[in-house]
Amino acid sequence: MTPPASGTRHVVAVLLAAAAGGYWLASGYYGKELLAETAITAILAMSLSLLVGQAGLVSLGHAAFFGIGAYALAGFGARLGWPPALAMAAAVATGAVAALLVGLVAVRLAGVFFIMITLAAGEMAHAWFLKDRLFGGVGGMAGVPRLDLSAIGIDTGDPASFALLALGVAILVYLLLDRLVLSPFGQTLRAIHQNEERARALGCPVGRYKLAAFVVAGAVAALAGTLAAQRSAFVSPELLTWTLSGEVLIVVIVGGGASLLGVSAAAALWIGLRHQLSTLTDHWMLAMGAIFVVLVLVAGDGIDGAVRGLWRRLAQRRGP
Amino acid sequence: MVIQLLNGMQLAMLLFLLSVGLSVVFGLMRFVNLAHGTLFMLGAFVGLSTVEATGSFWWALVAGTLASAIVGGLLYLGLLRRLQAESPLKQVLVTFGLIFIGLEAARIIWGDYAERLPGPALLAGSTALFGVVYPTYRLFVIGLGLAVAAMLYFGLERTRVGAIIRAGVDDRTMTAALGIDIGRVFFVVFVLGCALAGLAGVVAGPVLSVYAGMDMGVLVLSLVVVVIGGPGSLKGAFVGAILVGMVETFGQVWLPEVAGMLLYGLMAAVLALRPQGLLPAGPRP
Amino acid sequence: MIPAAMPPALAADGLRKSFGALEATRGVSLSLPPGRRHAIIGPNGAGKTTLFNLLAGALRPDAGRVRLGSADVTADGPDARARRGLARSFQRNSLFPGMTVEAALMTAAAIAGGLGAVFWRRFDRDRGLADGAAEIAARVGLADRLAVPVANLAYGAQRQLEIGLALATRPAVLLLDEPTAGMSPEETRAMQRLLAGLPRTITILVIEHDMDVVFDLAERVTVLDYGQVLLEGTPDEVRASDLVRRRYLGDRTG
Repeated sequence: MTPPASGTRHVVAVLLAAAAGGYWLASGYYGKELLAETAITAILAMSLSLLVGQAGLVSLGHAAFFGIGAYALAGFGARLGWPPALAMAAAVATGAVAALLVGLVAVRLAGVFFIMITLAAGEMAHAWFLKDRLFGGVGGMAGVPRLDLSAIGIDTGDPASFALLALGVAILVYLLLDRLVLSPFGQTLRAIHQNEERARALGCPVGRYKLAAFVVAGAVAALAGTLAAQRSAFVSPELLTWTLSGEVLIVVIVGGGASLLGVSAAAALWIGLRHQLSTLTDHWMLAMGAIFVVLVLVAGDGIDGAVRGLWRRLAQRRGP
Repeated sequence: MVIQLLNGMQLAMLLFLLSVGLSVVFGLMRFVNLAHGTLFMLGAFVGLSTVEATGSFWWALVAGTLASAIVGGLLYLGLLRRLQAESPLKQVLVTFGLIFIGLEAARIIWGDYAERLPGPALLAGSTALFGVVYPTYRLFVIGLGLAVAAMLYFGLERTRVGAIIRAGVDDRTMTAALGIDIGRVFFVVFVLGCALAGLAGVVAGPVLSVYAGMDMGVLVLSLVVVVIGGPGSLKGAFVGAILVGMVETFGQVWLPEVAGMLLYGLMAAVLALRPQGLLPAGPRP
Repeated sequence: MIPAAMPPALAADGLRKSFGALEATRGVSLSLPPGRRHAIIGPNGAGKTTLFNLLAGALRPDAGRVRLGSADVTADGPDARARRGLARSFQRNSLFPGMTVEAALMTAAAIAGGLGAVFWRRFDRDRGLADGAAEIAARVGLADRLAVPVANLAYGAQRQLEIGLALATRPAVLLLDEPTAGMSPEETRAMQRLLAGLPRTITILVIEHDMDVVFDLAERVTVLDYGQVLLEGTPDEVRASDLVRRRYLGDRTG
């Protein structure tokens, strides 16, 4: 629940970054693609971690903001022809506004209702892009531009460079969210998570804080979405599906909920596992559903304790 | 206009069949079965297979309803009941995981193609009504929904079991303290809700197409129905279903570009004015 | 001592609240000048908890006003009232079980101080908050347990922290909901000393079952019965009242 404020997390962060760097050096074309995908998933998972792990808000519609970020980049960058950097910034802002609109309704409701509203809002956004004509409906739209960094000698069209770019953004997001988590704002979110009634009695306008967390998480998810759209140069309604929301939630649970580094490591684990599974079978979502159910079942108090709960149970089995 | 009203009513009745189980289960047990749409899909697929095997829509109706009831009952006994003592959040998330499993299982068993479930020959053709000619089968859907609503209303308001359920929604500890086996009431209500979802699935078969993934769209609509109508209440589910059915139908006709937003707007507006929903039952947690 | 023109620190005027057919609060008025120690007593079901919640903002009255100083807070929720200087404790411990004593006290001060919106500084390195937490901990007798997780505290210590969290907001008015509930006689005496030692800058209203605590602390006592004020007076007047004796004190042998 309380984040590790010790310096050890810096060591872990450097180790994780070094591992990613090592993989970047050693891997071929496909590995670079995997690395970029991992970095993007890690950003998305870190944004959801802010909601689930810190504020205790379990969202089942987080992919919507990811997809909205991707589509907004396509809209500003490809349709309107804005420079990619400006389009990216505008896309992140769009994600924040979308999160504000959903959050205004959702944060008024607690627990199960919050889940219902986020799932419903996410699926509505998905349905919207299935039907729209501007971005090609079900078929999606190609031609999303990548960030132009030729001024500093980087060709983002190259998969190796793009993987580095995604990794760099992930590290920036980590540093930013780490700051946020350890700030009085982060502490207030944890206070609300642990005891909303008390937080309110101490003078905390609880709804406003939840909304702020929801908007920040939506903006960061949109940022991840802009990278996803750049990676494939393509957007489609697939980016907003509930299955993606579920996947990210699994990553967050496996990563320990509140730990940004934990969920980042879990993102790498998940991307690797998913590629293994999907080469084995077309029905890997079956396994994913089973993993999801098992994780939730073994979770102790609060789903962020899932992995700890699993270890505890395993230890008990082995014990006398 | 009349045709759109009837279309809206037909969708509303399907949504009612689907949401009433969700809603009353929520009122009793404070959790939402997100796999409810999966049971709807199961009903549709079992119905489809039954029609292919027997050629009879009516057998399909029975088989689809039973299949969803049985699978729902097993889910309850094997999984959800164990989580009752823990947080409702866990129950909801477990049922979310079940959607993945249900979707892939449906793809494995029934494949990836959309099919239309043939309606009964008896109800083929059209009927003149209110100055328009309307497909007879769709009138049957409306009639069935109204009949089920009437039966449930009678059952809840006039029978002993109904009184126990209402008491359970209002105050479950008190009801349990009166010596009523609340666990059995939960089970019966849950299975009945699942059966209605299966029934809705078969009935929807000839109107919507049957395919793996058909569950998500209706699940979202029925979640909106529950939130708007006020969880736990039969009347709320009925009124909510009609509102959502009409907004969805007329939205698609008049404002197809923003139909999705319209529904979200409706939900936001209702929650802004009445956070408890329109016709809530019992105390909220 | 206190100028007459000064507005009361906390005032209730004609508060009413019904739950369905049950009238829990039927026209209760109170007025606490700054620094006053005021107790509310009454038999079970007299409407003490409802009145407390109306004052704290957890419930909205059907009729009547609540004022904090010169501000009318009737329409404000608990958080808005807290920001105007009202703090409350809970009858059942309502703490932050996942934090240490120090973090919980710092959190309370940060929220009350409006620091929650600060997102660029480290919370755990805030000297001001840490010093404040140490001071409050010393006041409520937890100075030696700053690093202990709240969940690991003994019940009595959790009750002390309950008061500590309220004090950490630097309140002008403190509402205490049965501060000695569930405590041993020894713990109760410690709590009495704690409450007696609070500075006069804080106005205190307490609901309490333990009559020793009430008559020890309070300067004025309001006796509630069936949602109405049966009597308000000094502890001696209340003790001497036949009416109260019959209705309330006589019912209790303890």
